[in-house]
Amino acid sequence: MNNITITFMVNGKEVTLMVGPKERLIDTLREQLKLTGTKEGCSVGECGACTVILDGKAVSSCLILTGQIGGSEVLTVEGLEVDGNLDALQQAFIDHHAIQCGFCTPGMLMSAKALLMHNPHPSREEIKTALEGNLCRCTGYEQIIEAIESIANK
Amino acid sequence: MISYEFLTTQKIEEALNYLDKFSKVHILAGGTDLLVNLYKESPRLPDFDYLLDISSIPELKIINLSNNFIEIGPLITHSRLINEPLIKNNFPVLMEAAFTIGSTQIRNRGTIGGNIVNASPAADLLPPLITLKAEVELTSRKGKRVLPLEEFLTGPYKTKLQDNELLTKIKIPLLGDNYYSDFQKIGRRKALSIARLSLALVTKINKEGIFQDTRVAPGSATPYPQSLPETEKAVNGQSIFHIDLEEISKITGKEMVSITGERWSTPYKKPTIAVLIKRALKKIIEEAKTNE
Repeated sequence: MNNITITFMVNGKEVTLMVGPKERLIDTLREQLKLTGTKEGCSVGECGACTVILDGKAVSSCLILTGQIGGSEVLTVEGLEVDGNLDALQQAFIDHHAIQCGFCTPGMLMSAKALLMHNPHPSREEIKTALEGNLCRCTGYEQIIEAIESIANK
Repeated sequence: MISYEFLTTQKIEEALNYLDKFSKVHILAGGTDLLVNLYKESPRLPDFDYLLDISSIPELKIINLSNNFIEIGPLITHSRLINEPLIKNNFPVLMEAAFTIGSTQIRNRGTIGGNIVNASPAADLLPPLITLKAEVELTSRKGKRVLPLEEFLTGPYKTKLQDNELLTKIKIPLLGDNYYSDFQKIGRRKALSIARLSLALVTKINKEGIFQDTRVAPGSATPYPQSLPETEKAVNGQSIFHIDLEEISKITGKEMVSITGERWSTPYKKPTIAVLIKRALKKIIEEAKTNE
């Protein structure tokens, strides 16, 4: 098994790392970069807890080998905050009580952020489509959608 | 334990050289199936020593129109299929099927080429691609060959792709005027579900309202997606004003069972596929009547 040297951007900073051939993006983020905001739930692309934004698109970081993403740009939940200020979306989640246990929250935020980056005023239907790959076991979907709508309507 | 060397490239030529030079190479593109199988150490994974990542080859990410064919690069993601005007305007049935796949995250990574080469009985893009008479271009260091997709598929998870070949293009002939299409899918829930049953229908309806050149292909119904010639024959020549949908749907149910034999799922799938063909035909007939 060969190790691979790979360079990519994480939350605006360039990183160069040695990664294993079986190392997934979620492993690199959590184990090597200690960015533990991104959660691992199902490990098979069905729960959305590991969602990050890769080159502007929401993706499951459990379904990508880090060796595949040389030259790419990754945004994780840690990258939403700028200079100690929460992203408006994070604040909206707090204001609308869109969090219970919090495990799905980073994934929900990243799916919503990817949507808003391309479509600043999505419809309720478009919000639901963007979130269809994110599961919440506390069943807080309604508040999550409301939080995103509050940003979309601004 | 699965163990392999990781290879990556940005050039088709180099990928073909790897395939030529090494044996037991598994290709990685979007990874939405392969990484699940790797994680689960699935018995369906063939034995391999090298994993060749082709996901950053730009030449395989192009869609264009050339000589009455739309040519689609195998790395085109499901999200691209949904948003690409060339697909939306010419093959809405392919767009509709792509939209039912997985979730936004899956559609952003999963590719049309992966859906084809993986050749799952439940692959959502195979029924529409078969009804659109898609062809696949396979390239090796020795040259290229083009096969009709339906001929390329040989069994569940089996294709005619040789070890030294790469799928380099999907070619779909443009449909003429007066063609209609529809895609139906049933899953356990709307998002993130594997098709329990799906059906693609493409047909021409002439000025007199007569069905011509009908093409029907179901998914998750037969060991691997294939067209249903008996059903197609039964629809062709019928008028949109007099067609007996009940009769057609019985033929479709029977035809499916003639391919699969009676299975544990037959009591569910036989009446359900009958419903899908009826729904698809009804939708198209209504559309044709409004266009009159």
